[in-house]
Amino acid sequence: MLVQESIGTAVDAIKANKLRSILTTLAIIIGTAAVIAMVAMGSSAQQALNDSITDLGARTIYVYPSSSRQGATNTSKVPLDIKDAIALSKDGEIPWQIAPEIRGSKQVKFKSENASLQIVGSTPDFFSIRGYELDSGKTFTENDSLARKRVVVLGSKVANELKTSSRALLNNEILINNISFKVIGTIKEEGAGWGPNPDEQIYTPLYTASDRIFGRETIGSINVNFPVEYSTEEVMIAIERILRREHDIGPGEINNFSIRDWGQALDLQRQATSIFFALIIGIASISLLVGGIGVMNIMLVSVTERTREIGLRKALGATQNTILLQFIIEAITLCLIGGFIGVILGTSIYFLIAFLQEWPIVFPLTAIIGSVTFSAMVGLFFGIWPARRAAKLDPAISLRYE
Amino acid sequence: MSIIKTENLVRHFAVGTQTVEALRGVSLDIDRGEFVAIMGPSGSGKSTLMNIIGCLDSPTSGTYHLNNKNVSTLDDDALALIRNHEIGFVFQNFHLLARNTALDNVMLPLKYAGIDKSEQEEIAMEVIKSVDLESRAHHQPSELSGGQQQRVAIARALVNKPSILFADEPTGNLDSKTGDDVMNLFTNLHKQGQTIIVITHEIEVANQAERIISIKDGKIFEDQKVLK
Repeated sequence: MLVQESIGTAVDAIKANKLRSILTTLAIIIGTAAVIAMVAMGSSAQQALNDSITDLGARTIYVYPSSSRQGATNTSKVPLDIKDAIALSKDGEIPWQIAPEIRGSKQVKFKSENASLQIVGSTPDFFSIRGYELDSGKTFTENDSLARKRVVVLGSKVANELKTSSRALLNNEILINNISFKVIGTIKEEGAGWGPNPDEQIYTPLYTASDRIFGRETIGSINVNFPVEYSTEEVMIAIERILRREHDIGPGEINNFSIRDWGQALDLQRQATSIFFALIIGIASISLLVGGIGVMNIMLVSVTERTREIGLRKALGATQNTILLQFIIEAITLCLIGGFIGVILGTSIYFLIAFLQEWPIVFPLTAIIGSVTFSAMVGLFFGIWPARRAAKLDPAISLRYE
Repeated sequence: MSIIKTENLVRHFAVGTQTVEALRGVSLDIDRGEFVAIMGPSGSGKSTLMNIIGCLDSPTSGTYHLNNKNVSTLDDDALALIRNHEIGFVFQNFHLLARNTALDNVMLPLKYAGIDKSEQEEIAMEVIKSVDLESRAHHQPSELSGGQQQRVAIARALVNKPSILFADEPTGNLDSKTGDDVMNLFTNLHKQGQTIIVITHEIEVANQAERIISIKDGKIFEDQKVLK
């Protein structure tokens, strides 16, 4: 009952000094708003990252060439070869899909339009591994590759680059390096993600690319897609075993290729994002602490101003604990009011930014509960000292305080 | 039967490096139902004496029995309990909570006594009626006249049915007409058996009591019945 009474008294006292109370809680408001907005934006960013992992296909690893280091000297880079991809394909231990990539920038012509575009040569599996969907026409086949057929599948924005439409290009001929190729299909818009934009690339069968466009057997990377039953480590070890054999790497020598798991990279990205937001939350928490000191200051003023009231309350039978409770509740109420305004402000800011940035919206419930609890704790912590001063006041002296 | 019995009350205050002797041995007996005025010039120690017998302060030495209970050695919280149950205070400047209504002000001691919320209002309203302020119960002090404010304060002092009603210069901030009203109220309460102690420096006020104790230099200087 006394708690209820104290809350009423606290609200009255705060109402009586509206401007002062608002100014006092300003730091609490800013702190809470910042914490909530930051935590929510952090969750949104994580959510966006998680979504992009699913886009990429978390079950794909990539093999790249790398220079093997022997002591301080770099040996020359040993390229990956189509034979490496074949060796991986033939190994039956893990039922994986292998898609080597041979890529480079080439001059592409359609009628009088010219553009420099990325050409990617790969196997038919490439589209399913990358999750690219056909928009019109068809994709090339294994036989197209073996026959070195001059066929291409276009990314959705290639037509733009050539100042025409996908429809106009389909079943027509385009020139790559002045050799004509037939457009047999287009893929749907994928959107830029990690690495080169898939929508601005031209896809062609592996052997067509190596023989007719690039004139080399070396490839840029190998996509390895594997079933979920196998762990990333297991697959990496298998790849390493096969490629070390192919590249004739003796025991104790270092790999001249590298195996990368973009999931790992995303984990790193995720960590970096968390650290960034944790830092801002840390700064915002300092604002809450500063707010707490402001509350303590104003509570000390309040105790002094209300010395006679405290004296009277004691004269009428209030014990030290009753007075202590009254002033602590007042400090907590002050902080909670700031906290609630901060919640509204922070959530609004977050919704606005998330809306403008087209981020996935995550309702920051934990952040709201957390920061409101924290501001109440701030009130409790910084209210104790002024409240103790009030509780210890001598009733006889404080009644006569002018 | 004495309700207040003090023996050789001494109260020292440290002021800087000096010690001020506010009370230098006060022994007095006040019986249940008495109407006593304590008089003295400022600095005489009458306020200190009131603080001690009102349980707002403790003596440096000497003993004080209130209702046969030694209260001179009690701690802060125990004294708060006694003030709540046994003593009603009326002050010169009323000491009402400005943001609360008359009714809320009168209910305050009941809250500290832990009386059920449902009963608080009923009890408080009863006392407000007895001081003729029923129509002003839901007004804030700023909407009341000085005399009305003092009657609210008296209602608040009486609400816990205290053994002793203390009034410290109760007419000091009132004009003579409303001052007389307040004193008449005290006289009526006294007739109903209420023990009343009034601290004053006005002889007209003191003469309303049945006994006057004069304090000078921290000692009882004179203690006499008022002839009516």
